Amino acid sequence: MFNIRTLRAILALAVVALAVVVVVSPATSAPKATPTIVIWADKDRVPAVTKVANLWAQSKGVTVSVVQKEMGPIREDLKTVQTDTAPDVILGAHDWVGEVAANGSVVPLFPSAATKAQFPAYALNAFSYGTAIKKLYGAPVALENIALITNTKLAKVPTSFADMEKQALAVKKKTGAAVGLSVQQGSGGDAYHMYPLFSGLCGYIFGTNSAGNLDPSAIGVANPKFLKNAGMIDTWNKEGLIRSSVDSSISKDLFLKGKTAYFFSGPWNLSDIRKTPGLQTKITAFPAIAGTGCKSVPFLGVQGLMVTKFAAAHGVDSFAKDFVGNYMMQPAAQLALAAANDRFPANTIAGKQVADKDVKAFGAASVGGVPMPNIPQMSSVWGDLGSAWVRSTKGPGSIPAKRSFIGAQKSIAQKIG
Amino acid sequence: MTTATAANDTGPAGVPPASWLARALGFFSGTVGLVIKIGFLAVTNSLAIYAVVVLLTDGHWISGGLVAVATLLIDVVYLGPWHQAVPLKFLVPGTIFLIGFQVVPLLSNANISFTNWSTGHNLTHQEAIAAIEENSLTPPADGATYTMTPARQGGDLVLLLVDEVTSKAYAGSKDGLTPLPPADVTIENGTVTAAKGYETVKGAELLRLDEEMGKLLIPTTGSSFIRAEGLSQAIELQPTLRYVPARDVFVNVETKTVYRDNGEGSYVSPDGEALEPGWRTYIGAQNFKKIATDPLVRDPFVRVFIWTFVYAGLSVFLTFALGLFLAIVLNKPDLRLQRLQRALLVIPFAIPAYLSVLVWGGLLNDDFGAINNLLGVHIPWLFDPTWAKISCILVNLWLGFPYFFLVCTGALQAIPGELTEAARVDGATSRQVFRKITLPLLLVATAPLLIASFAFNFNNFNNIYLLTGGGPLQADQAVAGSTDILISYTYKLAFQAGKGSDYGLASAVSIIIFFIIATISAISFWRTKSLENLT
Amino acid sequence: MTTIDTLEEAEAPFAGSRVVEAAPKEPRRHGDLWWRYLISILAIAFAIFPALYVLSAAFNSVPSLSSASLIPSSLTLDNFREILTNPAINGEKTNVHYPNWYLNSMIVAFASALFTVMLGALAAYAFSRFRFKGRRMGMLTLLLIQMFPQFLAVVAIYLILLRTGEIFPVIGLNSLTGLVLVYLGGALGVNAWLMKGFFDSIPNELDESARVDGATPAQVFWGIILPLGAPVLAVVGLLSFISTMNEYLIAGRLLQSTTKFTLPVGMYGFIADQYGQRWGPFCAGVVLAAIPVVVLFMFLQRFIVHGLTSGSVKG
Repeated sequence: MFNIRTLRAILALAVVALAVVVVVSPATSAPKATPTIVIWADKDRVPAVTKVANLWAQSKGVTVSVVQKEMGPIREDLKTVQTDTAPDVILGAHDWVGEVAANGSVVPLFPSAATKAQFPAYALNAFSYGTAIKKLYGAPVALENIALITNTKLAKVPTSFADMEKQALAVKKKTGAAVGLSVQQGSGGDAYHMYPLFSGLCGYIFGTNSAGNLDPSAIGVANPKFLKNAGMIDTWNKEGLIRSSVDSSISKDLFLKGKTAYFFSGPWNLSDIRKTPGLQTKITAFPAIAGTGCKSVPFLGVQGLMVTKFAAAHGVDSFAKDFVGNYMMQPAAQLALAAANDRFPANTIAGKQVADKDVKAFGAASVGGVPMPNIPQMSSVWGDLGSAWVRSTKGPGSIPAKRSFIGAQKSIAQKIG
Repeated sequence: MTTATAANDTGPAGVPPASWLARALGFFSGTVGLVIKIGFLAVTNSLAIYAVVVLLTDGHWISGGLVAVATLLIDVVYLGPWHQAVPLKFLVPGTIFLIGFQVVPLLSNANISFTNWSTGHNLTHQEAIAAIEENSLTPPADGATYTMTPARQGGDLVLLLVDEVTSKAYAGSKDGLTPLPPADVTIENGTVTAAKGYETVKGAELLRLDEEMGKLLIPTTGSSFIRAEGLSQAIELQPTLRYVPARDVFVNVETKTVYRDNGEGSYVSPDGEALEPGWRTYIGAQNFKKIATDPLVRDPFVRVFIWTFVYAGLSVFLTFALGLFLAIVLNKPDLRLQRLQRALLVIPFAIPAYLSVLVWGGLLNDDFGAINNLLGVHIPWLFDPTWAKISCILVNLWLGFPYFFLVCTGALQAIPGELTEAARVDGATSRQVFRKITLPLLLVATAPLLIASFAFNFNNFNNIYLLTGGGPLQADQAVAGSTDILISYTYKLAFQAGKGSDYGLASAVSIIIFFIIATISAISFWRTKSLENLT
Repeated sequence: MTTIDTLEEAEAPFAGSRVVEAAPKEPRRHGDLWWRYLISILAIAFAIFPALYVLSAAFNSVPSLSSASLIPSSLTLDNFREILTNPAINGEKTNVHYPNWYLNSMIVAFASALFTVMLGALAAYAFSRFRFKGRRMGMLTLLLIQMFPQFLAVVAIYLILLRTGEIFPVIGLNSLTGLVLVYLGGALGVNAWLMKGFFDSIPNELDESARVDGATPAQVFWGIILPLGAPVLAVVGLLSFISTMNEYLIAGRLLQSTTKFTLPVGMYGFIADQYGQRWGPFCAGVVLAAIPVVVLFMFLQRFIVHGLTSGSVKG
């Protein structure tokens, strides 16, 4: 056979040959001719963003590349991405602003005064962050919030919370459902969906400091006013108005099948509601709870665009800022992007032009709503706040709400440190 | 005595069976095999050379060096005449991947555990300084905003500005603002479109202006300046913080507060206020110290550890017991439809685990779930701490018993009938046969599988988190709920406490968990003597 | 009474190469079997109970995972249609590419199963046939390394592939090849041990007689050990196939473009949206995805059952 020397010779030849081939073949990509703006957006908004961005790009003579990623990965990968694959613009939720700004991943924006005037203060606030001085880090595009959806064939739109309670329990008795209101929790809790009840009882998450910024050391989960009203939670639990065993699919299921008359939910369920035959609904704001002095408002989620620090490294910083801080904040673009997903635009002028009556109703229900706190410390709140509700509303064996929420406040304070 | 023969046809006793498979493989093991081996080595070497070249030209000395060394070692193993290298030839391919995708991540995690990588500490030091400077720019109280048109005068970049409030036009350069006489300028829609003595930048050149525009700062009064914002706006800004490179500190322009590097990745003032963003840096063993001293981390640790141990142990015990039981029961060859029965029993395998867990979550819902409805009870499966623990084990049982069913089925058939027959002839009852012969043989054979299964369940984040979220969280519990195992507790510590995304802390706890489980496993291997024959 | 006294005897059983004694035929007693059928039915009910819910949701037009009823309220094939044909919602095409995902999953699962078996068998052969220093430590290390908690490893793996992709884009991020290579990191572990145990049962005499005839260790491996080891290779292949088909953490992080997704990643998008979960199409997708696993299992059952056992002739 072959002896070792021949073997080695053949091998050496083969290696050299292949190495030459491999090294010589072009490996790097040619530099781009026109600057490209890379946008990361999630799958529901990619088509709309592409359409709107292309219109803008054509007018400026640049190209836009929209990359689809889920919300989670957009947020995560932004921390580890390398410059050459990094995005220039991202579409994200306002409650990440604290995190991405603290990480230095996004840059501040300074839209003109005229542009800023077209937005409600809280929308701009939602995208602002700063421990000392607050800066605007993104352009709000669409508002998202839950509202009260009433099955008008089973019950009437309530005039007050007590009215809703009465009607809900009547429907519960008639249909034999295990719960009166379709509000989702699940074993892990859902502080987001419970917020209208929480705010209605005078609960809040963070207070503000002297500069008007959210203060992570001022936690209002078990503030004295709320604790005074917390007894109502125990009543609701006893009468079966709310139950923590109701999760997202059960909540929707009960409402769609006509077992409950009231549904706390958002525009994402609109298509399923419209698909259900014989279901007639009306979307309104949440009724206030008498005797508390506070209004029942939902959490607001604001989606928007942010410019990343990589735009400057790519040499497209001014284009990205023009797209986000100028073009996307104008009514036409706002309407186009928000409408593509049944969301209410943040721009008030665009808001007046919304045609779909359901979307308009969600917009109306958002008035007075509280944007979810966007500071990074908020990540310590969700689980505990949700669990506080779960502990007190699981039916028999629940612990009194006062004790539950005091425990939650202690835990959150300890975690935030 | 009948002999069971191999699945393939046999040739004369002692000669490898001459099935098509064997012949195919035999074909490859001669000259052809040699050529293939040379081919693989050649490809590997040339790819490695390419990689080394690229790495070294980019300045990655360490990676380039490592790749070169590794390739040389591979060449030595496969071409060298040493007899001892023969086993290495078979181990190297798998080990390459093991090192690349198991060992390296492990080392990388170890590395991260000594850093402060978390929210607010994601940049390099230099990047953080630049970002703080950028963030400190604020419009001054009486600052102006302008519409902007880029233009050129001579070769220099100039911004043609129109004050949005006063509507006066200016030309801004690095020397300052020059008012433009209204006669010389054409203004449309509030923006300058043409000006005498200036050439507006258009078309392709606009695309390359970005860097220049970012650097052009038009001084106004004091430390304020005007800078372009986007393509058609400019704004007056003023820095509130000043960086002093010589002392590596930031100074607040107004209050003169000094922010110093605190050695842990932030600039802090004397009263503890930190500037954001910070940067990623090594902080020594601080994460580990935090685990030992921070009551938030330390207090639940023992409780969570005990439950993790119990959970993994019971899961292994019950899945093995059920799997073995079914294997024994269904082992009779007389049973009909054995193949169908086995296929059905293995269905839990065919559905992705995360979906199954979610389905179980729905089934175990105490008010609406099918199980409570069918049994007519109201057991709070997921809402009561004790029942939640039982639910976790139940779901794990469902997910895991098919594996041990398969393994035990095979293993049972391997136990020589002569042993059990001899025992029965000697008068042993079925149970004694089982306890004294079958079970020990089985355990010896499956011990490493049991240990590996224990380790898997010890780290089984998915099954717990998707079912209960680690809860229910009692009023007096801070981070760890009633069913949190060490790994899900780590996750919550890192991502749902403090400012979130604390990779440094998460890595540190992961390493501790790894040491715990590796120690337990190593001791178990030693005790069960399963590696005894490997001396 | 026979007891196990020595290590030797304890070692004996997983020999597999021994003779399997056919028990003297007893007269068949049907009364003996009925309770086995009963237990089997109970066990099967336990095993497929949740699966029935998935099946039911797949055919239900307004499905939810938590309906108390097993029978779909209204039968429909819409869910299957939706997941297979990528219908337009709100006038825009959704990014569902189920056939691509299916194909990608098949490719990745098969490739990774094949190479896992190959690499594991190579290593198992070395541990089984060669006595080298560090053999025991080596095996222990292999088993222990796999116990490192995976979820943080994902970050490191992401970075590794990112860097590798800069040099060799074909195995970088967002490539199926890269994904398969990452899965191969787990090839050496308990599976290798399983195979080693089986190889141990193949008599050394076969090796020796082949070596006497001039065969190299490699030829012994490919020509003798592998063919005779086919049953355990089938077991490991099937286990690897199943675990790869259901893996979504690493695949989700590494694959970026929708057409490159594997099944778990693509379908997770249906229920990832916290408020927009679509259980119907999701369950339909899962049902379709479960088919190859079941088919493969039925096909390989022959090997698996007899597999860990009788496999070679006692010379």
